[in-house]
Amino acid sequence: MGKKSPEAAGRRRRMMYRALALMLAAVLLLPLVPYAVAYVGGITNPNPGADLWRQVRQRETPPEVRTQVRGVDTGVLINARGESWRQFRMEQLIPWSGWFLGGMLVAIALFYLLRGRIRIDKGRSGILVQRFTVNQRLAHWFMAVVFTILGLTGLVLLYGRFVLIPLLGPEGFSVTAAACKEIHNLFGPIFPLAVLLILFYFVRGNGFRGVDFKWLAKGGGLLGGHASAGHFNMGQKLWFWGTLLFGLSLVVSGLILDFPVFGQGRPVMEWAHFSHGIAAVLFIGGAFAHSYIGTLGMEGALEAMTHGTVDANWAKEHHDLWYAQMEAEGKVGAVPGQEAPASSGSPETAGG
Amino acid sequence: MFLDFVEGPLWYAAAAVFLVGVAWRLAAIARAGLKEDLSVPRTAGAPGAVATVFRRFLPHREFMRPAAFQMVAGYAFHIGLFVLVLFAAPHVEFIEQRILGFGWTPAPHWVFLLAANFAFAGLLLLWLRRMLDPVLRRISTLDDHIGTGLTFVVMFTGCMALFESHDFLRALHMLFVDLLLIYFPFSRLMHAFTFILSRGFTGATMARKGVSA
Repeated sequence: MGKKSPEAAGRRRRMMYRALALMLAAVLLLPLVPYAVAYVGGITNPNPGADLWRQVRQRETPPEVRTQVRGVDTGVLINARGESWRQFRMEQLIPWSGWFLGGMLVAIALFYLLRGRIRIDKGRSGILVQRFTVNQRLAHWFMAVVFTILGLTGLVLLYGRFVLIPLLGPEGFSVTAAACKEIHNLFGPIFPLAVLLILFYFVRGNGFRGVDFKWLAKGGGLLGGHASAGHFNMGQKLWFWGTLLFGLSLVVSGLILDFPVFGQGRPVMEWAHFSHGIAAVLFIGGAFAHSYIGTLGMEGALEAMTHGTVDANWAKEHHDLWYAQMEAEGKVGAVPGQEAPASSGSPETAGG
Repeated sequence: MFLDFVEGPLWYAAAAVFLVGVAWRLAAIARAGLKEDLSVPRTAGAPGAVATVFRRFLPHREFMRPAAFQMVAGYAFHIGLFVLVLFAAPHVEFIEQRILGFGWTPAPHWVFLLAANFAFAGLLLLWLRRMLDPVLRRISTLDDHIGTGLTFVVMFTGCMALFESHDFLRALHMLFVDLLLIYFPFSRLMHAFTFILSRGFTGATMARKGVSA
């Protein structure tokens, strides 16, 4: 075999370069052929794969899928309802609930500006009536603390992307959201205990009676005139039953979301998310009103939950039937550490 | 930077204050000594001391009902906290790497969750009762609230940092751990150590007098 001439070697090298350039051009240009053909009207579908995935995604009934991966929803290629859930969350739940909660705050502010703080008309008598026991107040504040922690962290998870990113930046929001998620998931299982304590300590006296509907018809006295009430008025009773109803909804849906290890699939999780979000927003809106009327909105109300006692005049004005019952039982003024009312004077005149 | 500080110099300083402070408090109690008992003891003091240390883990039968809340919430908190401190996976890792050089099998995640729920519920209920019960409110001091509050914040920040997704959250937790360690020896949190001495003293004194404590 003789040695190849330099000319022959140069020809081979040039041929190799041309072949490589041709292959490169083919690799780059061939995928464009369907688009070019489609452009000139040759075929109607430039991407046949899209039909396949469209059918996978928009199927009416799930196809028979066999997979080696054992688990819930492992045979689902595309969860089409996930997009519906995402749209509901982003386009309905978040804006509507935001308007609702904002509207509640505006309504409360307007009410305060128009009505002002509801005072004890006859002033304080200085005579106390025991309204709630230590255990009742403990149940209330335990619920309040757990609810506040869960409510705040839940709101961060729901609205944080829109409200906090402009304030904290993406990194700051990431830290806040991660912390809130852990706290929310961890405090969630304590909430059922709070609901049970509320049920146990407050169910007595929260049954509906005829007088409650009269109270409701008079708008609780806010529209003028006196509205009689027992130990709890209709507003408080509705709040109690609402707490149980929303609480139960939040507990069930929350446990489904918090512990996804009991075979619940995505559809169940999505429904749990719907009901959790809606119940939570309604509950938080109600809590705004409850907190307002229990603190800033009404003189003498907060001490019922801090010290367990109320002023006798407050009791007469807001819960006259209960006050009459307490008076008949000789319990007015019979508060540990407090002096009994003077026998010569009526409660209205006994002190300031 | 912040994490390096709270897990470095501040951690060592806090641990030193904790160890020296606790030792100093215990030594001060031991040095206080006992008043000389001139009477002839009815029974030996030591068995009474040991018996009382264990007997006081439950209230007297007569007080069982009124003390039920305190007992249930107290045990929920203390057992929960014990499991969290010694068996949470990040704590076992920290103890192994920074303190002892060896570790043990951490609790599974569901045990951690259960313990955290018990601890939080118990602590909140006990703290709220301290604020709401008229007698407890009057005998509580600022120290009680600071100690309880610091413990709550340490647990709270610990849960925030549970999955260690951000250094800042871990640093925040460590900062409050350091503060708690520094505060511990000078507060009623010392009951974690002194309860044995207190019960033992009562048990021994009563045993010498022939009284079942």
